[in-house]
Amino acid sequence: MSDVYRDILGLDLPPERLKELLAAYRTVATEIQRLRELDLTDVHPAIIFEPTAPYRRRDEP
Amino acid sequence: MTEELWAQPIEQLAPAIRSGKVSPVALTEACLDRIAEVDARLRSFIQVSAGALDAARTAEREIADGRWRGPLHGIPIGVKDNYFTQDMPTTAGSTAPGLAFPMRDSAAAARLRNAGAILIGKTRTHEFAWGNVTPPVANPWDLTRVPSGSSGGSGAAVAAGLCAAGLGSDTGGSIRMPASACGTVGLKPTFGRVSRDGIVPHSWSLDHAGPLTRTVTDTAHLMQVLAGYDPADPACQDRAVPDYRRALGRPIKGMTVGVCRNHFFDALQEDVEKSVEQAIDDLARAGAHIREFRIPLLEYGLGAIFAIELSSSTAYHDQSLLAGRAAHFTPDVRTLVEMGRLVTGADYLKAEQYRQALMLEYRIAFQSVDVVVGPTTPITAWRHGKWEVQVAGGQQESVLAASWRFTYPYNLTGLPAISVPCGFDRDGLPIGLQIAGRPFDEPAVLRVAHAYERAHPWKNLMPPL
Repeated sequence: MSDVYRDILGLDLPPERLKELLAAYRTVATEIQRLRELDLTDVHPAIIFEPTAPYRRRDEP
Repeated sequence: MTEELWAQPIEQLAPAIRSGKVSPVALTEACLDRIAEVDARLRSFIQVSAGALDAARTAEREIADGRWRGPLHGIPIGVKDNYFTQDMPTTAGSTAPGLAFPMRDSAAAARLRNAGAILIGKTRTHEFAWGNVTPPVANPWDLTRVPSGSSGGSGAAVAAGLCAAGLGSDTGGSIRMPASACGTVGLKPTFGRVSRDGIVPHSWSLDHAGPLTRTVTDTAHLMQVLAGYDPADPACQDRAVPDYRRALGRPIKGMTVGVCRNHFFDALQEDVEKSVEQAIDDLARAGAHIREFRIPLLEYGLGAIFAIELSSSTAYHDQSLLAGRAAHFTPDVRTLVEMGRLVTGADYLKAEQYRQALMLEYRIAFQSVDVVVGPTTPITAWRHGKWEVQVAGGQQESVLAASWRFTYPYNLTGLPAISVPCGFDRDGLPIGLQIAGRPFDEPAVLRVAHAYERAHPWKNLMPPL
């Protein structure tokens, strides 16, 4: 199982460090799990793709 | 208030500098002397500018020649160490090897210089603007306590009179939390109002740039210079900049002040609750209508900001993770940067959906209120090395969780929010009142903040250093 987590992280962490990291993430995971339970199916994400943005930069050649 | 130059707010210094009664050189020298006198204890500056006095001499000459540039001309300002500056290296609070940031002015630094301000030095930040402690900075009201963070260096420096104002950045509360803990004013403007160009990114859609000052009027002076369109910041909006100073000195009679009774009043320290309830009563006595409301969706906010902030910060630090540099970050920051890889893409987008839903809830609330007030933080400054604090009912809460509970909703929604001092707790530590407004309605926020400030003595109090 720890190999799977190591692959997800993409970091070559020793087992003790991996354990620490997963333990620290537990609080975050609990909050994200609560968020997952919200039904927001019909809500568009706040971030909107905006293809004209690169043309607004005046500091590029 | 002491008449020492370093103790005076910009609102007092600016007319005196313009008329020649106060010399920018004398003012800068007073701040440099003050830094030399107290910053060995506060450690708020990571670097003091070698060119500050030269810049002050230039300002003095220009003003004497009749070329006064505005209220910031000749005013010493501290710059948080995650803003690039052309004459002082940027570290973003990190000592990890292999990091190098450009020696150029960030948009905010350039605007301040163009306004004639003296960039007196770089103030300490919690590493990469993560965290709420800002080691090794001490709180000027009690040196055994933290200044909060991540703009803790600017908070401590402004409160102690080491500079007249400071720049901060705010991803989850990092301007308002140190403002509250150190007894200064701190404004997180609307997302898109002030350019973040040249600020080391933390989380692109949550990061805001803004000032920490001694008074609300000083904040208006800084905003007048900092606000405005910059195409180099993709999020910056091309909107007219109002005259923020016109919002000041106006009565609040007839305004509607909203109080969101869920989330923002949960688990407060007793003295914080008393001070904030008193402030709400004071606003009512000044003629504001108080309207209470609830936003139940707020209870899901922590997961959303975790998902966005962690994954964004990890994406920014990807090369540091690959190169092994992250192992040299301080342990708390290293953990946060590594764990961002565990947030899934779906979690990130769910958080962005949540954000949209929350913004809509606030929009509904703002149909019947002009501003929303509440505590900036549930707790006052805590002791160095302490990880838990006591909140309502004797409950223990981690300082990490408690400190940003009331500030991050305004990073998720991008709404403008200010912290103004509203009293002291039983240990003599400052308490902050948070006032938030509609998008780009900084004038309403400043109007209420200024009316409150004028009716209270807090801005005249200096820490006993």
